Amino acid sequence: MTMSALRRPGERDRLVVKFTQIDWTFAVALCLLAGTGALMMFSVAGSSWEPWAGPHLFRFGFCFALMIALALFDVRVWFALAYPIYGLGLLLLVAVEFFGDTRMGATRWLDLGFMSFQPSEVMKVGIALALARFYHGVSAENARLSWWLLIPAAMIAAPVLLVAHQPDLGTAMLIALTGAAVVVLAGLSWRIIGAAVVAFVVAVPIMVMFVLHDYQRARVMTFLDPESDPSGSGYHILQSKIALGSGGFFGKGYGLGSQSQLNFLPEKHTDFIFATLAEEFGFLGCALVLALFAAVIFMALRTASLAHSHFGRLAAAGVTATFTLYVLINGAMVMGLAPVVGVPMPLLSYGGTVMLTVMIGWGLVQSVRVHRYTEVTSGKGAFV
Amino acid sequence: MSEPSIFFSEVNERQGAFHRRSFLLGGFAGVGLLALGGRLAHLQILEAQRYQKLSASNQFNFRLVPPPRGLIVDRNGAILATNRPNFRLLVVKDGEHEPGPTLKTLAHFVPLDEARQARLLREFERTPNRTPVSVMEDMTWEQFSAINVRAPEMPNVTADMGEVRVYPHGGAFAHVIGYVAKVNREDLTETGPNSEPILLHPGFRIGRQGVEKAFDLDLRGRTGAKKVEVDARGREIRNDTDGDIPAAPGKTVELTLDVDIQNRALEVMGDESGAIVVMDCRSGDLLCMVSAPSFDANRFVRGLSTAEYRALADYERRPLLDKAMSGTYPPGSTFKMTTALAALSAGINPEERINCSGGWRFGGRTWRCWRHGGHGPQNMHDAIKNSCDIYFYQVALRMGPDHIARAAKALGFGQAFDIGIPGQRTGVVGSTEWKRTQVKRDPTWHPGDSVSYGIGQGYITANGLQLAVMTARLANGRKQLNPRLIKSVGGVEMPPGDEVPNLPFSQEHLDYVRSGMISVANDRSGTAYRQSQLGLGDVMMAGKTGTAQVRSYDGVANRDSRSVRWGLKDHNLYVAFAPIDEPRYAISVIIQHGGLGGATAAAPRAREVMRVALLKDPEIRARIVQPMPLPDVTDLPPVGIAPDGAVIAPPPMTSSPVPPGEPT
Repeated sequence: MTMSALRRPGERDRLVVKFTQIDWTFAVALCLLAGTGALMMFSVAGSSWEPWAGPHLFRFGFCFALMIALALFDVRVWFALAYPIYGLGLLLLVAVEFFGDTRMGATRWLDLGFMSFQPSEVMKVGIALALARFYHGVSAENARLSWWLLIPAAMIAAPVLLVAHQPDLGTAMLIALTGAAVVVLAGLSWRIIGAAVVAFVVAVPIMVMFVLHDYQRARVMTFLDPESDPSGSGYHILQSKIALGSGGFFGKGYGLGSQSQLNFLPEKHTDFIFATLAEEFGFLGCALVLALFAAVIFMALRTASLAHSHFGRLAAAGVTATFTLYVLINGAMVMGLAPVVGVPMPLLSYGGTVMLTVMIGWGLVQSVRVHRYTEVTSGKGAFV
Repeated sequence: MSEPSIFFSEVNERQGAFHRRSFLLGGFAGVGLLALGGRLAHLQILEAQRYQKLSASNQFNFRLVPPPRGLIVDRNGAILATNRPNFRLLVVKDGEHEPGPTLKTLAHFVPLDEARQARLLREFERTPNRTPVSVMEDMTWEQFSAINVRAPEMPNVTADMGEVRVYPHGGAFAHVIGYVAKVNREDLTETGPNSEPILLHPGFRIGRQGVEKAFDLDLRGRTGAKKVEVDARGREIRNDTDGDIPAAPGKTVELTLDVDIQNRALEVMGDESGAIVVMDCRSGDLLCMVSAPSFDANRFVRGLSTAEYRALADYERRPLLDKAMSGTYPPGSTFKMTTALAALSAGINPEERINCSGGWRFGGRTWRCWRHGGHGPQNMHDAIKNSCDIYFYQVALRMGPDHIARAAKALGFGQAFDIGIPGQRTGVVGSTEWKRTQVKRDPTWHPGDSVSYGIGQGYITANGLQLAVMTARLANGRKQLNPRLIKSVGGVEMPPGDEVPNLPFSQEHLDYVRSGMISVANDRSGTAYRQSQLGLGDVMMAGKTGTAQVRSYDGVANRDSRSVRWGLKDHNLYVAFAPIDEPRYAISVIIQHGGLGGATAAAPRAREVMRVALLKDPEIRARIVQPMPLPDVTDLPPVGIAPDGAVIAPPPMTSSPVPPGEPT
């Protein structure tokens, strides 16, 4: 298949053509990451597919198929559904506020009868979609600095505040930063960006002191001085650093990580799976995995910049930004550079919801790639 | 890398801005990932060693192993205190497992009634997490295996084999050796040996009394450690035997006591309350130090119930008190040798006779002799032999208390000896100086005080050990012998008791007093003649009886105490040494409230214990056991002795002996 095929509207709508246009290198990179995750889960379960490694691979397989399927959807379908998805997400967040399940002091789940579901996850993709949809119709002038900007500000603030109130600070922060990334990519004035950064730097200490819940404040405080209370709340960070550091350059060997195998490492198969990896495969293994993450991020960004539609560019970049933030925040947390916030390492960590969100996001990105020459003016023609 | 757009006329500002900023986003991601990589390099390359150490200290734990406690043996190596295996049931409290339900489950396998469960739960409340609590000791093999089989279902339960202290001779050595018991919170200190973590081990026992307490640190040994791999909950995953540090057993403490003499001494005490001390007159070694009644120290190791403890503590004969060291009694007439030596040193002529008519008026009262009819004219030798009170009243009055006190101190009265274990009460040795400083309400020494002092009453008290030392010093006749109880610790010999200065008495005076003691036991008219016959041929015993009154007999016509209750009877004492020609062993016997006359209760017991001591001595045995004349063996068949000692006799003669050469 040649590029010319893509430029012919009749030809490019054929499924076979679409199929070949999916970034298969990118797909292989995703598989490698998920496989690494399963490998580590197999190890910490004592060389057993149960209870984590098997389900992890099974879920990834399902999500991978979903990604391919979503990639084949015309980007105009995404365009048309952008606002509805965002609106639905917002509605569900409000529903959580009133009908949600409370677990461990936080109201994050909606019980659908057959499964529990976190609406805040919808918002991670929803915010990128909705903002891309919004900026698609905004001129560069207005995107830089105008009263129009109050609309995206409100679009970001509404879900962020609802999620923060659950309280789920990690997800709220992710949504806010994803939104901010799209706004910046759309061409926000540097002056506003500068002012926002200054405001953020000033606001954070005030937030920490007066707005956060006690447990959240405690997490921040132990982050600042983890060794002050090694068996209490500083335990996670300290044990994680011990796991990382003791891995050394080559690691302790597969299945031989004492920190993870003997349960010193908390959440060894979920949020701290990177530490498990670091302990057993050392700096070498970590560097390879980080390189894989870098490859995934840069391939996704390249896809974003290839798109001819402003919507496609921004949506793909927004999804990539979310993914990047996941990786950086989880990495910083595991390495003791950030407080413990419940942000998993995408694709590596065990957990169905995040896997689903991330892979739906990549489905969107691949859809943008497959349909990079499709002219997006409105939702019209999407369902042809 | 964007391809030239031909479909969109708008190569617009928005696209340009996006591309510039997507580079920024890429740059941000790149910098972020590089920062993570840098952090990883810092942790995994630069600080790897530090974290590897921390990881190892997480992974491996050293479980303390209590060392076997050192043995306590007698002078011949007979074991007085040892350890035996003990199947023990330990339960750990951690965040996951509550002890309550665990105990209920365990009650199916071992006897744990409700009351015991409640007491254990209280103990669990005081114990920190992950510190094991001993739920049951001395399980049978069946119980032990029943629990062990079910161990996988009960991760917080361990059944293991520990050691428990055992005293094979029960009560005979209870006061000297003491016992071990669980560690109390009061035992723990911030620093020093009692701050070591092994004290928190449920199998560890601390010395509570006697030798166990005084030599606790020597007996403890060096704590061992078992290197185990543990998980985050502190549960053992596997044992790394290469990393084990073996426990070194405690040192052996060898006593000078002799198990046979000690056991016999406790036996002869029967139901009586008192003490027997036997001392070697040449070396100062204590061969026997018994206090009766005694108690079984093994019960204390297990932990006494309140009822058991009350029974011991409330018994009027006070089994918990060591009467050989901490009970002080008026020495009574056993003190008369001291008075005599003091008189001789003070220049009183021993041949001067003092008439005893049974009573003597002095200071407005009549001082009575124990013999109402009187002894007639007595010189010092007669007075010792007959234990004449009148003679010693007058001699003591004549020389005054300070001469007596000097002699008493030289013989060991009023002194605590360094025998390695605490608990000696020194008693009182009266003198003008002593009374001036110690008796606040009546600081002057009255002549009447001297009178009773002369016969060992009043301002003179002593314990059994001091009486034995006094006798041994008299018998030795030269040295101010010190008693020794601990022969060696961990093979290192303790200083002997005979490297001491000589007695401040002339040899002639000592011989004179000793001849008095010989007459007591060997003249037919001596006060303890019948009770002092050892029946060991020319190995004979010398002694001195004593009666110490515990109440005033003024106005009591009859001192016969058979009808008064036990607590008001006189103390009955006897001190002796043997053999008289070459003194080897000295003994003191105190029978608390034993009744009138040292000869009745104390002397027969002293004789029996002395016989055991003498018969154990090979040199003495050689003197006693004379070889029988050999029988005429000419017409007896030859008898062989097999190596195992069996006698091999030739086959019995048959009526028709088989002629030689006949086939069989």
